[in-house]
Amino acid sequence: MSTNGVETTYFRRVSRWKLLLIILTVVLVLTIVLSLNVGFAQIPFSTILQILAKRIPFLGSLIGPSNISYPEERIILEIRMPRILAGALVGAALSAAGVVYQGIFKNPMADPYVLGVSAGAAVGASLAIVFGIGFTLFGVNTMPILAFAGSLVAVFIVYNISRVGSRVPVTTLLLSGIAVSIFLSAIVAILQVIAGKKLHAVVFWLMGGFSGVEWKDVWAILPLIFIGTVIIYFFARDLNILSLGEETAQNLGVDVEKVKKVLLIFGSLVTAAAVSISGLIGFIGLMIPHITRIMIGPDHRVLLPTSIIVGASFLVICDAVARVIVSPVELPVGVITALSGGPFFIYLLRKKKESYGV
Amino acid sequence: MTAKYVTYIMTIVAIASIISAVYVYAYYEGQIADMRSTISGLQSDIANLQSELYKYRNLTLVDDRGYVLNLTSYPNRVVSLAPSNTEILFAIGAGDKVVGVTNYCNYPYNFSAWIEAGNLTSVGDYWTPNIEAIVTLEPDLIFAAFAQEQVVNTLRGMGYKVLVLDPGNIDDTLKDIVLVGRATNKDVEAGILVNNLRQRIDAVVSKVADATSTPKVYYEVWYDPIWSVGSESWENELIEKAGGINIFADQNLDYFMPSAEAFIERNPDIIILPFGHGAEPPFWGSFDQVKARPGWDVVSAVQNDRLYTIDADIIARPGPRIVDALEILAQIIHPELY
Repeated sequence: MSTNGVETTYFRRVSRWKLLLIILTVVLVLTIVLSLNVGFAQIPFSTILQILAKRIPFLGSLIGPSNISYPEERIILEIRMPRILAGALVGAALSAAGVVYQGIFKNPMADPYVLGVSAGAAVGASLAIVFGIGFTLFGVNTMPILAFAGSLVAVFIVYNISRVGSRVPVTTLLLSGIAVSIFLSAIVAILQVIAGKKLHAVVFWLMGGFSGVEWKDVWAILPLIFIGTVIIYFFARDLNILSLGEETAQNLGVDVEKVKKVLLIFGSLVTAAAVSISGLIGFIGLMIPHITRIMIGPDHRVLLPTSIIVGASFLVICDAVARVIVSPVELPVGVITALSGGPFFIYLLRKKKESYGV
Repeated sequence: MTAKYVTYIMTIVAIASIISAVYVYAYYEGQIADMRSTISGLQSDIANLQSELYKYRNLTLVDDRGYVLNLTSYPNRVVSLAPSNTEILFAIGAGDKVVGVTNYCNYPYNFSAWIEAGNLTSVGDYWTPNIEAIVTLEPDLIFAAFAQEQVVNTLRGMGYKVLVLDPGNIDDTLKDIVLVGRATNKDVEAGILVNNLRQRIDAVVSKVADATSTPKVYYEVWYDPIWSVGSESWENELIEKAGGINIFADQNLDYFMPSAEAFIERNPDIIILPFGHGAEPPFWGSFDQVKARPGWDVVSAVQNDRLYTIDADIIARPGPRIVDALEILAQIIHPELY
């Protein structure tokens, strides 16, 4: 095969990727708009479009007076909008972190919680709930802040336990992640025992969900997740080389330890940001990277953005289902992600059994 | 002659008219004075009413979390996020303002039938009330309860008026009834209710004061695992007020899991098990099953067959029926006094 042939195949593939990403982005936007239609309150879709159009500069003034009622507008703009966007952000963050960790650890079982982010966040949130450490401090919810802090502290501990000089061997990292998670889970268990009548709140947080998400939560995590995923994307090529093995990567001129460090930091950061407002949502970070990998292959340059968009759409859909399936009661979204994603993943796994590999 | 008569008549007429003028003057003067006093009375009434109105126009309410709410008008669309809140609202006659309740609200009326008939809206569960359902109702006042911080923050962030009722004991429950009364323009009704409840509480307390014993009481919140009540729970307060002592009163917790050994070692004289809690049949099965639990046969309550049950809805809700619970407990703990 001549060099020219390789290049042609590559460019053909890139244009196919671009098309795929554009289609998936359109699907994500449609998912978001359509899920605005889903909720307890029955609001006609035309009204929703009017409410959205009113917010668009210039177009809004053209529409003129309409029959939008006040509660309808508030439900769409202040309740559904923030939680749907939060769902998309969290889905994107967890999927990105899943890709990163599975890439670094070369382990199909790695998920965003592998470094103890979830257990750390759980300790933070449980402390906030059980001891009621000022639910609102200066008008800000302290629970997400404590959850965020807890997850970063947990990752910091895991990282420092596994550090050998300037190197961070992945096996030690994985094992210390598990050890620290188990230890922190025990602390959560103790907190649950002494929680008394606040036990419900702890359990609900651990199950994860988006009820009660506000705009300020979205604004708080948006920059962290955006910057985090963009930085991670810059290292997509290095992740490809890392998958050949650390030694090979080192020989090919990749500063393996630096790349690992940067990816671990930003993977943890986006996960911590996501977990701080959504609680523990399982499945997404583990399965979405696998699903997209089975569909489009292991190249991180396309795997990463695809996973991000697919994860965002999937979580938005799951949250819409969680909102209405037993309305007016809401199910924890983690239940829906596992119930719907699990069987689909098993189907893909069986179909692509021979060719499957990380 | 004629001139003389004329003079007489003129004089009489003059005197009569002077007298009648005096009378008329006196009469009207009295009337005017009466009117003046009436007017001044009315004026003071108006002043009183105005100050009263002013007070209510700037009604300042402080809820159990210390949150200060200024009401400029009385609510017409009230949403209750807890069964206890619903019971208080209906007990003070503010029930006609209630437009939304939870699925758990079942007293004083069968609200699920109301909801089915479309006369009332469900806002979901106690633990996860549906914000969309609440907003759709356009409430002008919302009564929340404990463990609803997130929903409360969201609703307040959207500009809704929310009061959190989370009383820690009987006295705070009575204060909350007054608070709900002030918030819904039912001060008088709330005052009468609280007065009545206080008299009933005092009656129980003075009755059990004559008791010669203080039986040890075990209250079971849940079984498998065992959940019981510590000193921070208000079951503890109810038991004490009813003339008993909670066997786990030394635990500074609200609800916790004691060991089965601790239960046997504390040797309660009375076992109280609630029914309800949404569990049908009761989570503990039957009295025979309770007695057959391993090692429980040595306990005084089992040997003397002193096992009782109480409606969980009555004892677990911080509303007016908490006094019913107290009276029932007093009869269970001191049957000799009743």
